[in-house]
Amino acid sequence: MIGRFQITRLGAGLLTSLTVLIALAWVFPLYWGVISSLKPEDEVVRPYIELWPQTLTFDHYYSALTKSLIGLWYINSLATAVGVTAITIFSSMLCGYAISQLNFPGRRYLHILILACFMVPTQTLIINHFVLMAHMHLLNTWLGMILPQLIYPVIIIIYKQFFDGVPKEFREAALMDNASEWRIFYRVYMPMNWGITTALAIVVFIWTWNNFLWPFLAATQNETMTVPVGITQVYNAFGVYYARRLAAAVLAALPVVLLYLFFQRQVTQAITLSAGIKG
Amino acid sequence: MIGKAFKSYWFPLLLIVPFLAIYGLIFIYPTISMFVLSFTDAPLIGSGSFVGLSNYARLFHDPRLLVALWNTAYFVILSVIPGAAVALLIALAVQRLSGRLQAAVMALFFLPFIVPVSVVYLIWDWILNYQFGIGMHWLDALGIPRVPVFKTVTWFMPAVAVITIWWTCGFSLLVFLAGLRAIPAEIYEAAALDNASRWTTFRRITWPLLWPVTALVLTIQLILQLKIFDQVYLFSTGGRPNDTIVMVQYIFQMAFVDDHGGRAAAVAVTLFLIVIVVTLVEFQLLRLAGGGQKK
Amino acid sequence: MSDIKLSNVSKTFGTVSVIDDLTLTVHSGEFLVLLGPSGSGKTTILRMIAGLETIDKGTLEIGGQRCESLPPGQRKVAMVFQNYALYPHMSVSGNMAFGLENIGLDKAEIAARIAAAAKLLEMTSLLDRYPAQLSGGQRQRVAIGRAIVKQPKAFLFDEPLSNLDAALRVRTRVELAQLHQRLQSTVVYVTHDQTEAMTLADRVVVLNNRHVEQIGTPMEIYHRPATRFVASFVGSPAMNFIQVKTKLNGKKMGIVAPSGKWIALPSASITKGDVELGIRPESINIVDRDADATGQVKIIERLGERTLLHVQLDKGPLIIVQDSGLSKLNINSPVKLKFNVSQISLFGPDGKSSLRSAAS
Repeated sequence: MIGRFQITRLGAGLLTSLTVLIALAWVFPLYWGVISSLKPEDEVVRPYIELWPQTLTFDHYYSALTKSLIGLWYINSLATAVGVTAITIFSSMLCGYAISQLNFPGRRYLHILILACFMVPTQTLIINHFVLMAHMHLLNTWLGMILPQLIYPVIIIIYKQFFDGVPKEFREAALMDNASEWRIFYRVYMPMNWGITTALAIVVFIWTWNNFLWPFLAATQNETMTVPVGITQVYNAFGVYYARRLAAAVLAALPVVLLYLFFQRQVTQAITLSAGIKG
Repeated sequence: MIGKAFKSYWFPLLLIVPFLAIYGLIFIYPTISMFVLSFTDAPLIGSGSFVGLSNYARLFHDPRLLVALWNTAYFVILSVIPGAAVALLIALAVQRLSGRLQAAVMALFFLPFIVPVSVVYLIWDWILNYQFGIGMHWLDALGIPRVPVFKTVTWFMPAVAVITIWWTCGFSLLVFLAGLRAIPAEIYEAAALDNASRWTTFRRITWPLLWPVTALVLTIQLILQLKIFDQVYLFSTGGRPNDTIVMVQYIFQMAFVDDHGGRAAAVAVTLFLIVIVVTLVEFQLLRLAGGGQKK
Repeated sequence: MSDIKLSNVSKTFGTVSVIDDLTLTVHSGEFLVLLGPSGSGKTTILRMIAGLETIDKGTLEIGGQRCESLPPGQRKVAMVFQNYALYPHMSVSGNMAFGLENIGLDKAEIAARIAAAAKLLEMTSLLDRYPAQLSGGQRQRVAIGRAIVKQPKAFLFDEPLSNLDAALRVRTRVELAQLHQRLQSTVVYVTHDQTEAMTLADRVVVLNNRHVEQIGTPMEIYHRPATRFVASFVGSPAMNFIQVKTKLNGKKMGIVAPSGKWIALPSASITKGDVELGIRPESINIVDRDADATGQVKIIERLGERTLLHVQLDKGPLIIVQDSGLSKLNINSPVKLKFNVSQISLFGPDGKSSLRSAAS
């Protein structure tokens, strides 16, 4: 006798297996990219499917690292991502705190302006960003790479909401404790949000590292490109060697994938917040 | 009196100075100069003279505008609702799981979203490579003739849309999962006591309660995909970019390839306005639809 | 000298008047409790003393110094918040040190003060912990310690016990009373809990609807309520109220009890006509004859050491009568009741007591 309960259990087990299978299939393209980069070039082009390389080789990584400018691109990417992250977090935290906790003329208009920033498509500003950076002689520089990528109004809003959620008694207790406005911010409110700041910083770093359009425009020389731009733009760096191109792709993705794997909780928290849902 | 006001406001003003400086320089100023530029015949770099609306007049006679508009709209249709549907299905499946298994499955679905677009391009370009791609081996196995996917206009947009869904699904999935977790377990327990079937539970409880989140996902995706550039540009290199062009790519070509700063700005203004109008209209529509759900 | 003087203080929020022309003195070393229901303005008064709310009109003196326009940090008062507001990212000693660092005390002095306060509050072992690692009662201590180290002219407490569970609340109340006896400092304490007010206060200020109903010692408040509001707010179960008429009998003024009996009252200042008789449950005795009122028991609440009888008067409302713990009465038993004349309060139609000198 198979009761309804058993059927339900069986169905649940099947559904779970199916979900896991689909999840594995979902990452298969990434797996395939990695595995292809570890095969010798002649194995890569074999007309049948081999899920594991017969000969495991890191030669493509070696030549990607030595025969291209990828080292230079890494430095450019790192400088850009660190710069954008630091400036965005710093200015957004200050602005979010001011809008949330302090009183000053025009506060409401500032809040509306920030919300309006969400609607404006920054992709349409590429021409004028380019003209502006050209006039400032900042093309092919780190600063020129950084500046137009600093538009993250959502970070300000997340900070504002975070500070809104802090009970006002902390501010009052600090006032009773004779703390100056600066010390209230620096000693009381800022340390309270290290958790959220870490999460937001990691996500802004990932977003900036992955950004394509502006770095693609702002770097007109091979030497000033970021990794994600360089690996697609400089064909002769890797020739028609598929495995070597994939090795370069893996190198481009590696820092952000590692960041995600190490800081999964923070990344999901910050991205959920950025969608406008309280995490 | 002024002294006192200064004394109490200098600190908040100091805090917003970095924001004002940054957004003034790279947001407000470029937005204004984009509008100004669109009324001139300037090249990309250099000055031009005022030409009134003639950039717009030329724009509306340019057949490429229609192609770019259509391709953008086509891409939106192919990616927004199907993408949200796929993410919702996965979210419902992942929601059932628990503990480490859920975290692991979630991470697998999320991982592609973390990868840079150029890596997505290189991997899929390889998978769908006409000669050696694993995708083509599968087509062979199924007895379907091979297609040069990114060189065929018919296949280009659907393929890029599917890849985009694969790439960005993790984000929508995360939002849906957060929304599903926000529905209290007691409601499901009450439904179970009321003998509701799975389908009834989904249709009458999950779906209406999840609607605000669904609306959020649709809004975010729609606005994002209207501004599509990266994937389409990358996959069209070596393909037929003139036939698969999208709006931002059109701006890029006009400005950076054809060196028409003024005319490119006119395209940019057009897209700017389209995005804002679509955003506002969609916002209203979803609010109305959401209101209807509640009744 | 650390008394607090509020003189003719007024405050409005927008067009709503919150405090109107309040004059109040807290004597040096006194434990003053502001008691009232929520919305009575008690917290606003406390926050005005602290400097967290502005004073629109009137003056505030703390220890002889005019304070109404000083920022909160410079009034030399310390406040304990309802939710304690302990800085979550600072250790216990960090929490206590913060206010002292802000006024530029040197490190040795700060350490000495923290050590002394920790010893006083028996929490030396907690100094390196963080608020999240503390229990509710321990957080409460830290909040008090943070106030003590500042050596303030006065302590301000904003419902400090309301976040504790019942058992801990009783214990902390006793500790607070002991602490005040030892420190002999000026305290202003806001609460809506009459037990806290009765047990802790030297004087109680009863507030209702943004004005002062009565100021007095706990015993005065309990036994000689100045208004019907005070009578009904203080005491549990609440005072009974019965509509009666005054009547002159010869030259003596008295009232007509529900039974029709005339009761002489030892005062001349009684409003004529309809008054409300207020009498607490413990001031009503069950008798065999010579009753002031008769009725029938409707509900019996046995509390162990005493029994509360809800009695429906034959001519009058449902009142509560206190009987001994081993009361033998049953539901629907008829009872005869006698009022303890010295404990009777009378309230005129304006709600004010019209019987002031009865006890004295």
